[in-house]
Amino acid sequence: MSAPRAVPLLEVQGLRKHFPIRKGFLRRQVGVVRAVDDVSFHVEKGETLSLVGESGCGKTTTSRCILRALTPTEGRILFHAATGQLLDVAALSKRELQPLRRQMQMIFQDPFSSLNPRRTLLDIVAEPLVANGVGSKREQQDRVVELLRLVGLRPEYMRRYPHAFSGGQRQRVGIARALALNPSLVVADEPVSALDVSVQAQILNLMQDLQAQLGLTYLFVAHDLSVVRLVSDRVAVMYVGRVVELARTEAIFATPRHPYTEALLAAVPKPDPRLRGERLLLEGEVADPSNPPPGCHFHPRCPYAVEQCRAETPSLHEIAPGHSVSCHRAGELALRGVAG
Amino acid sequence: MPRAILEVRDLRTYFFPEEGTVRAVDGAHFDVYPGRTLGIVGESGCGKSVTARSILRIVERPGRIVSGSILLRRDGNDVGVDLATLAPDGKEMRRIRGGDVALIFQEPMTSFSPVHTIGNQIVETVRLHQGVGKREARARAVEALRLVGVPSPERRVDEYAFQLSGGLRQRAMIALALSCSPRILIADEPTTALDVTTQAQILALLADLQRREGMAIILITHNLGVVAEMCDEVAVMYLGRVVEQGPVDTIFHDPKHPYTRALLRSMPSIEARVRSRLPVIEGSIPHPYNRPAGCPFYPRCPDFMPGRCDQIEPPSVSVGDGHEAACLLYAETAT
Repeated sequence: MSAPRAVPLLEVQGLRKHFPIRKGFLRRQVGVVRAVDDVSFHVEKGETLSLVGESGCGKTTTSRCILRALTPTEGRILFHAATGQLLDVAALSKRELQPLRRQMQMIFQDPFSSLNPRRTLLDIVAEPLVANGVGSKREQQDRVVELLRLVGLRPEYMRRYPHAFSGGQRQRVGIARALALNPSLVVADEPVSALDVSVQAQILNLMQDLQAQLGLTYLFVAHDLSVVRLVSDRVAVMYVGRVVELARTEAIFATPRHPYTEALLAAVPKPDPRLRGERLLLEGEVADPSNPPPGCHFHPRCPYAVEQCRAETPSLHEIAPGHSVSCHRAGELALRGVAG
Repeated sequence: MPRAILEVRDLRTYFFPEEGTVRAVDGAHFDVYPGRTLGIVGESGCGKSVTARSILRIVERPGRIVSGSILLRRDGNDVGVDLATLAPDGKEMRRIRGGDVALIFQEPMTSFSPVHTIGNQIVETVRLHQGVGKREARARAVEALRLVGVPSPERRVDEYAFQLSGGLRQRAMIALALSCSPRILIADEPTTALDVTTQAQILALLADLQRREGMAIILITHNLGVVAEMCDEVAVMYLGRVVEQGPVDTIFHDPKHPYTRALLRSMPSIEARVRSRLPVIEGSIPHPYNRPAGCPFYPRCPDFMPGRCDQIEPPSVSVGDGHEAACLLYAETAT
């Protein structure tokens, strides 16, 4: 029996986002930061796709383009709307975007700065409903009660202000707000990196429960590979504005095919003192996206680089079913993953 | 084991804002040995940073050390000096701070002056503590930057903090801290603001410098992976108290305190099952004003014993070789 073909919810094709660098009195453009440089991937309905990479790799910019918080420089972002239409988010006008925004919501990183301290939980969670004119005041309040229960908060607290809650509870409020309009896609940008370890687990479990319960699709943006491993179906590794490897989570961790992925996995400290030992240390620093090295952007730090890597830019190609990598030597290298 | 270079006993640092008393550090005790690394781990509000600031006597008002001792032994057989009794801005404390005991912070951007070059700031420290001339101090600054792996240090020495990347800035911070060859280096979340590959570089650098210079390191972090990688001894803190301490292998493989056990279980691991759920610690860390009576962890503890844990402050008792836990589960077997 063949597996049922997964339905894509979102297809990103050739996405680019360039930021001009301006200087001087006349604000002349002197350069360009290629924050996102030809990124393509798709997200299936009901799955969690994670974008991982280090600061400046373009993961957040990519997610912001998808939500159209930023307007892409080039490329298509095809969204399968609930109405059955296929819409290009990148090309829509502000007015055309309005109905679509209800289907894409965001969970933010910092639960301390993302909630207005002067508004009650009721106001905060009801805001998307009010802004979109959904229901009467009474219905809105009922919906807030329902949402707070859904994320594990007591509805009695809805007249309180955010300061009365801990970081974990505030993140639950942020999740309730994101779910108010029944979105199909939720973009979570580092949703647990500001939380304490003991609270992280609660929020990650909650997000997984909600996904199962509501059939949500997550685009998860994170730098912590341990967290990514727990929640993702597939992982896209980014480096200096490009996707360098994309595969199912098991494959990324067990059999990475890109040297950068290998280095990233090796850099995560193992939580067991008996596993200490010599490990692969990545030399140097992340390349400057306004002046990236020629060829493969990773070649100056890559222990496996050859002449071809300095000259030719590798393209993302499928090396095994569902496993794409952008490395000239992917076929011949035997890279180390992590057990598990 | 050699004698401890730093002995902290029953340290209590309280803050007295108008709203009430916050017992930020409430009975911390631990030893620090030359050439070894002590990890102080815990979540926000556990008092790990205030402990570091107490040692350096840079606790900000309205906080102060209310009791306890911080004994620094400059060399092995010295009787030592109790830092807790020194005047925070007195001559002796100023000599120790940056001289014998140095500190590196989490955010190297805010710890450097934005209007002085990196080199100027190192030169100032060197001249202050070692009384050498300008030229000599500059040479040492370049040397210090070279030691921590800053590329072309002759040029970087004249740059400002904002011109450096996060990783280089943290290296410069370490160079500044090490410029006077401290005996104890306190590193407060030194890699938390860094990317994981940069973190690996900085941790390797610290371990290498320790091997060469033989200094003691107090590593303050919330990241148990970093602890497993770096530390020899570990002290686990929760709401101002050291709830468990011992050798790193024991803490990870035979933890005794219910909090340590829960913390280790709830930590996402790079080797965990893909798409799985984590065991959680129920509830959240109490607000410092609403600190529970008795054991601070009892409201979240799976082994809570009503009538005991919520009334008795558990004493720290020995549960093995160099291994202590502050939990009534073990206090009972001891008595």
